[in-house]
Amino acid sequence: MSKQFKPKILTFLCNWCAYAAADSAGVSRLQYPPTTRVIRTMCSARVDPVFVVKGLKSGFDSVFVGG
Amino acid sequence: MEIVEQLLDISGIGRNRMQLRWVSSAEGPLFADYITQFSDQTKELGPFDLKKFMLPLAAVERTLMSSRIRWLIGITRELTDFENVYHEKLEEEDYKRLLQQATEEEYHKAMIVEVLREGPLSVKEMAEKIRLPVYTISLRLNELERHGQAGLSGYDGGTPKFIGLAA
Repeated sequence: MSKQFKPKILTFLCNWCAYAAADSAGVSRLQYPPTTRVIRTMCSARVDPVFVVKGLKSGFDSVFVGG
Repeated sequence: MEIVEQLLDISGIGRNRMQLRWVSSAEGPLFADYITQFSDQTKELGPFDLKKFMLPLAAVERTLMSSRIRWLIGITRELTDFENVYHEKLEEEDYKRLLQQATEEEYHKAMIVEVLREGPLSVKEMAEKIRLPVYTISLRLNELERHGQAGLSGYDGGTPKFIGLAA
């Protein structure tokens, strides 16, 4: 595997918890991988198991759910 | 989400393609940690080979959409914390086992439906494609037939061939 591989990660973040955490991580200039694509949901319970499959199907390498 | 992990495992995709973590809004550093860790983990796994996993992935999706699994997940608390209208109550362990078994069965059924989309197959051919015992295939195929999702399409010599009838 080449070192160039940058994983595309789909992240579902709860508006009230993990999204705010991601926001504060950004504000306090913490480094975290830039290859994550964020989808904000109003609650992490909104994430249906099927979304994970659809994410992988659409070409993401892995899926992260933060609540 | 446990059920997704189980399905990712039995489909050969692997549960480490998905992660569920709890982060409160005050835990920015923790979030950064989790994402970095997960990103490294994905890096180790390498790119996701979509072409190779197209069939299992479709089956996983079909399983998660199946009414049996949806119902089972929907009544988790009713069955384990309270009781249903028949005064049946399950221990959490028993419920988990029930769900696991149902998931496996539904996944196998979904696999059968998916391979049958390409055309009529005999039980033996299906067993080879899905890499399951012929006996398991015929059990699941029987259930599919009863629910009108698969049927006999004709005979090839003396061998019955089946087709999928599901939408």
